[in-house]
Amino acid sequence: MTIRNVRDHGQRYRPRMACLKKVENVVLEMQDPKTGVKSQTQRLVITTIPHAITGEILRNKARAMGTMMVAFGYIYPLQDHKRLILKSDTSLYRFQTPYFWPAQQWLVEDTDYAIYLAKRNIRKKGMLELYEQEQYNNLYKWMNHKWDFIVMQAKEQYRAGKERKKPDRVVFDCQERAYWVVHRPPPGTVSAMDYGHDRMVDPNMEEKKTPDYYRRIIMFTQQCIMRPRVKSSVSIGALIKYTTTYKEHDPFLHTCLPSSPWITDDVTYWTLNMPNVETPTKMRVERWTFSFGELLMDPRGRADFRLFLKKEFSGENLAFWEACEDLKWGAAETMKEKAQQIYKTFLARGAPRWINIDGKTMDITVKGLAHPHRYVLDAAQTHIYMLMKKDSYGRYLKSPVFKETQKKAVAPEPHRFTETQLEQNAKRRRPSLSPIILRQQEEEQKAKLAASGPVDITQVMSKLERKQKN
Amino acid sequence: MGKDECKTMLDALNKVTACFRHLVIALGSTSDSQNLREELKKTRKKAQELAVANRTKLTALLKDKNISKDDRAEYERLWVLFTSSMELLDVDMKRSLEIGQDFPLKVPTRHLIQTGMTGSTTTVAARAMSVQNMKYEADANIDTVDLKELETEIAQVDQMMEEMEMKVQVAPWAVEAKQEAGAELKSTVSVGNSSVGVISICEEEPKETVEGETGLMKVFAGIIFTAVLLIAGILGYLVINL
Repeated sequence: MTIRNVRDHGQRYRPRMACLKKVENVVLEMQDPKTGVKSQTQRLVITTIPHAITGEILRNKARAMGTMMVAFGYIYPLQDHKRLILKSDTSLYRFQTPYFWPAQQWLVEDTDYAIYLAKRNIRKKGMLELYEQEQYNNLYKWMNHKWDFIVMQAKEQYRAGKERKKPDRVVFDCQERAYWVVHRPPPGTVSAMDYGHDRMVDPNMEEKKTPDYYRRIIMFTQQCIMRPRVKSSVSIGALIKYTTTYKEHDPFLHTCLPSSPWITDDVTYWTLNMPNVETPTKMRVERWTFSFGELLMDPRGRADFRLFLKKEFSGENLAFWEACEDLKWGAAETMKEKAQQIYKTFLARGAPRWINIDGKTMDITVKGLAHPHRYVLDAAQTHIYMLMKKDSYGRYLKSPVFKETQKKAVAPEPHRFTETQLEQNAKRRRPSLSPIILRQQEEEQKAKLAASGPVDITQVMSKLERKQKN
Repeated sequence: MGKDECKTMLDALNKVTACFRHLVIALGSTSDSQNLREELKKTRKKAQELAVANRTKLTALLKDKNISKDDRAEYERLWVLFTSSMELLDVDMKRSLEIGQDFPLKVPTRHLIQTGMTGSTTTVAARAMSVQNMKYEADANIDTVDLKELETEIAQVDQMMEEMEMKVQVAPWAVEAKQEAGAELKSTVSVGNSSVGVISICEEEPKETVEGETGLMKVFAGIIFTAVLLIAGILGYLVINL
């Protein structure tokens, strides 16, 4: 039994599927005996079944529309049933019954799919296709509590189906099979049913013009007027600059080395670009030169930068910045202690890792620390960020550390997979490392860093002073 | 025994649900007709009667406090069967309402979808109602009148399901199925030859045999065969004569 206490709050309005209603109207028009599509009879060995249509005479735009109808499932092909396109030869198609039309408000249930697979199992005496067999086993595991029902219902539906005449039985089987090809596509096919996020509100519904609605519209337009406007030459210039810099780094727009995992199911690209990999790829290193933000956001880049700062004994800036990030994104209960810790380590007079910020910012920060909240160190963090960006970043890019990393960076060869290899790759798909494990690895790294030697000039100086005293 | 009664009633409900689904699938297509609408109405009513009977029986059994653990597990399993059936019925009824509204029968330009199904669904309905032949006695505008009744019936079913949810405390995910994967293969021995033949036509891409072509091939073969026979006959005659 599905959990019916969850009332449908309209969470499943699918905005990109609003075209379905329009396609339905077109399909209805096509049925008109005078102005609609002409149909022929399909001749199988013993039986003849009426109402088959071909895509022969259609021209480009009509063919595109027809392909869309086939992809959505309003029309299904009689031969080559897995390829949902409209061919412009004499291959036959048939209209799908309204029950099996893809409708916005009826979710495609796994229970129905399980019943269908069970019926197919009966019919093919256990010889399901590979992907169907996998789905069957999965469903058996997940829907185990309903399995008795599924088996009973499948048997009954099978027996009830046999009560109809032969041509109708053939048509029914083809219809059901076509429905499930659309909604549970076989592997390696593209589905037209990918629609993105569900929405809270039905976009097709006409909204009532209440005073509340008008109030909302007025507020919205007022805010639109108040928005700061940028000249389009400026914004378009910025867009162009961004795209020219990043266009070769986007795996969707440019070939990604060694091969795009989304296409070839080979995960080398992801393993080479793991957050804490030893040798980064050339593309990744190139991205660090684009801006300081890029360098800091990439964990490997940050590690490299940290190494450089360690050599220069000025690691306190980066450490302070990281501590501020930790405060901003961390848990609420540890916030007060963290803020105090940061003050003692970085900001107080004579602190072990004292950072150099100007008097005004220091005043604001110290005042704010009396009542600490998540963003109390924001001003100081920004100051330090700009300091690092203007000063250390430039030196880092010219430093031997960076040059060394650049030299060692790998440039992988592009893969060339054959069809069989691609199929094998698809079968070998496995889930990636659990985020829990990744987090543990991060924590271990942090602990190791904290335990390493002095990295700041103040620490070194204080060590020297202590040595002198002894 | 309570359990056996329950099982038979659940089987009946199951059968009616399956037949109802077959009937709803035929709605809006070329096999739609007055008769189909009436069949739907009758099947629905029967389903509702069975549902109510099942519910009273099962709730009575589940409310009984002094039953053994195994018995209770069994009743919970039957309860899950019952609720799943009801859900299917509910969805099918709502869909039949929607499709029925979209495809009225008494309009001058009626556009039923040419799905290729032309036969009637009387046999399916007869199976649902457990009768030999269906009798049709409804009046002409059943499609519009019936829809109003259907709406009320859907509301009733929804209400019944809410009550069931609230009153009976059964954890559906805790039920373990008795059948294992592939159980449906075991007892359907009655797969007749005819149906296998039909289905195999549907499965392998139906070889599009254009009538003319094979006819031509057959005629050609026939001609060659008769020619060979003729030659053999003539040779034999000559051999005998000489």
